[in-house]
Amino acid sequence: MRSGLTVLASALALCASSVVWAADVDEGAAEALMKKSNCNKCHSLDKKKEGPPFRETAGKYKGKPDAEDKLFTHLTTHPKVKVDGKEEEHTSLKTKNDDEVKNVVRWVLTR
Amino acid sequence: MFKDFWEVVRRRYPGTGRRIGFLLVALVAMVFAGVVLVVGGAAGLAWTSTEKFCIGCHEMRNNVYAEYKDSIHDKNRSGVRAICPDCHVPREPVPLILRKMRATFELWGHLTGVVDTKEKFEAHRSMLAQRVWKRMKQTDSLECRNCHKADSMSSDLQSEKAQARHAKARAEGTTCIECHFGIAHKEPDGPGPKELKFD
Repeated sequence: MRSGLTVLASALALCASSVVWAADVDEGAAEALMKKSNCNKCHSLDKKKEGPPFRETAGKYKGKPDAEDKLFTHLTTHPKVKVDGKEEEHTSLKTKNDDEVKNVVRWVLTR
Repeated sequence: MFKDFWEVVRRRYPGTGRRIGFLLVALVAMVFAGVVLVVGGAAGLAWTSTEKFCIGCHEMRNNVYAEYKDSIHDKNRSGVRAICPDCHVPREPVPLILRKMRATFELWGHLTGVVDTKEKFEAHRSMLAQRVWKRMKQTDSLECRNCHKADSMSSDLQSEKAQARHAKARAEGTTCIECHFGIAHKEPDGPGPKELKFD
């Protein structure tokens, strides 16, 4: 009974957290920053380009509590990514404002 | 000598002078009408190929033009722009005229409100995009290549990433639009130019 309640509470919390993400996304600002940063040179919404589509990323991280942190790190530390068998540095967003980066992360996670 | 000849003609065929005069006036009028049509037609083609004309319709201004604003084709380091007709109106004479004729259906669409709200526009976005991608795939992205000449791309000035991507595209016979879609306007849901097959 207790474990069932725990599971229910966790599920509700996760749902609530995704709702919080959705509620917190400034779509216009995210899309403007992504446009400025040329994200869609390599990423599409649902089609294959050099990088994974945003919907695929959203699906991959769905329900994971550390999703936002992982993507924030990805977008701020220039990690190496493999494109056509070669390693390249992933570019970061054209901003120094962490909140703007987090907004874009939430935009991706809510596609 | 001509005077004598004319005298003979005038006597044998009265009214000839009037008929010739009428024919000359008709000829001048036709030449004048022709000039007006040619100049008017050229002016019409030029006017309907301006940015101001295209965004005269709110369907374009509020949707695709708003998306295009601040994109690389609108604002960039050098200030060189590609406006609506640069990508959407062919330069070759026959396709140009055909496209302009087809545009009269767009006028009808505007008058009957086919995409006159955001919701209607979004519902049609995929179809509209595919129309453009179809032509681009069939012409090897001719409208892109009108400005972007592959042979004039300096590898010194391109990033390593761009060089690698373009080398791969050349090897695979990929056309510009298959990678460079969703750049000027918001990409629609559904398959992209790479997945779509157009005959």
